[in-house]
Amino acid sequence: MSAPVITALLDEATIQEIADQAWAALVGEDEVLVPLPGETGPDALSSWVEIAGPWTGIVVLTCDRDTAEELTRALLREHAPAELEAEDVTDALGELANVVGGNVKAVLPGPSVLGLPEVGVAPRASAPADTCRVDAQWRGRPLSISVQGGTPAALDLPDSDPTHQNGVPL
Amino acid sequence: MRALVIDDSRAMRRIVSGTLESFGYETRQAGHGQEALDVLLEGWVPDLCTIDWNMPVMDGLQFVSAVRSNPAWRAVTLMMVTSEGEQSQIVRALAAGAHEYVLKPFTADAIRDKLALLGLLPQEVAL
Repeated sequence: MSAPVITALLDEATIQEIADQAWAALVGEDEVLVPLPGETGPDALSSWVEIAGPWTGIVVLTCDRDTAEELTRALLREHAPAELEAEDVTDALGELANVVGGNVKAVLPGPSVLGLPEVGVAPRASAPADTCRVDAQWRGRPLSISVQGGTPAALDLPDSDPTHQNGVPL
Repeated sequence: MRALVIDDSRAMRRIVSGTLESFGYETRQAGHGQEALDVLLEGWVPDLCTIDWNMPVMDGLQFVSAVRSNPAWRAVTLMMVTSEGEQSQIVRALAAGAHEYVLKPFTADAIRDKLALLGLLPQEVAL
């Protein structure tokens, strides 16, 4: 029996709900994610965590760099340094992906393992049929949360099938 | 009271430390379990450790097991503060010796309520 695709396990409303809770608790009580599409610029930054289990893939948060800086300041509140270092921004964006990813993992079939957050250029959604994505705006700035099957690392594993992940062609 | 905040995220360490300091705690921070064990081994033994699960070098579950295997640290209260929300993981952490489990994202009130349950909220804050 092939592994399920993410759209059979999760819908956009669940991702939005998880993200809303993360935003309210971490970014600020009154901070809202408005479900409106928007385009991030060419300098967009992503953070992601891997989930490995009955469903394997990554949870990716993507936004523009200035949005990432503003998110970092909101997250740190009075603990934010006067001058943000690049490490502050990657750390904060990684932690947001970690919290959203951990809560996505909790609603998927288990047992699963959650990886450590990574930050950089967004990994390609290798299997569109195995992707569930929410586009939203925070303070009028676009960002997206994408739960997508397949991992860059999995493609390099000698025992993995390089053409399929979670039962769908890559 | 003293608290050791263990999390690989610098942002999360700042947030948890700030919350605990607002309750009157003196805090120190560690970026992973081994760094936290080093703090305990140097003699700075806290009343409370808040522990993330997924960390490099030594994860939270390994840290809980290491602390529980040393009778000298029996009085230290261990509170997982993590995004690992799978029921089986919660059971594993509690079985290994964690006293409480707080899911990220959390609010300051959630931490305060857990501390009150554990009798670790300074009296002037609890009133």
